Amino acid sequence: MPIRIRLDRLLLERRMSLTELADRVGVTIANLSILKTGKARAIRFSTLASLCRELECQPGDLVVFEPGPPGEPEEDGLEE
Amino acid sequence: MRALGPGSVSSFLKVILDVVHWILLFSAAAASVGIVVVLLLSFKPELLGGAINIGGVHIKGAWLGPIAAATLLAGDLYLAGALVIVGRLRRIFQTLIIGDPFHPDNVRRLRMIGAALAVLELGRYAFAGVVRLFAHDLGLTKMASGGGVNLTTWFSVLVIVVLAEVFREGARLRGEAELTI
Repeated sequence: MPIRIRLDRLLLERRMSLTELADRVGVTIANLSILKTGKARAIRFSTLASLCRELECQPGDLVVFEPGPPGEPEEDGLEE
Repeated sequence: MRALGPGSVSSFLKVILDVVHWILLFSAAAASVGIVVVLLLSFKPELLGGAINIGGVHIKGAWLGPIAAATLLAGDLYLAGALVIVGRLRRIFQTLIIGDPFHPDNVRRLRMIGAALAVLELGRYAFAGVVRLFAHDLGLTKMASGGGVNLTTWFSVLVIVVLAEVFREGARLRGEAELTI
């Protein structure tokens, strides 16, 4: 998926730990890890809003589009 | 009254399915033992009582043993099919009890139930065909009348196939929801 979550960089810039962010946002560390490692399939607007509020950033700072090489599928298929 | 979860209707139905499963299992085991016994006794038909009654037809003589064994075998195969269906239903209901109806495995289980139902119905036609084949020679004309197409069964198979697709979509959405933060 060419959508990347730049949570790592933002946490580093704000000198904030994942645990602290999880506490502030009200999302479990496990879910934030999924988001951080790029395994998430979707993000709710409410989660995005909470993250932006706590990290004092815009959605565009957190979510970026990085197209891969031509021919690479844009969306992973779900397992059946 | 809740439909899903512990102590719900699903839970009650699961208990019934468990009982039916064990009844089917014992019946299948009894039929299997019966096949062996009948085949052994077929060497001495008089030990089988001289005649048996299948579907209102009295069979006696040298064919007594093989016909009884074949009938028991057909019954055993039918029970095996029923066991497959009930077994899968039990597992589906187990997921309903734990509140996870869209478990990905349920799609495969539903497809298996549909396939088993179709195979059982086809098996019924095959059995009726075999009976018809030998009915005249063996005087089983009364039994040869079965084997008609059961539209209810085929309708059920189609409904199960559609339900399996519904569950596949549900499982897909569940997978997406799990990775939605």
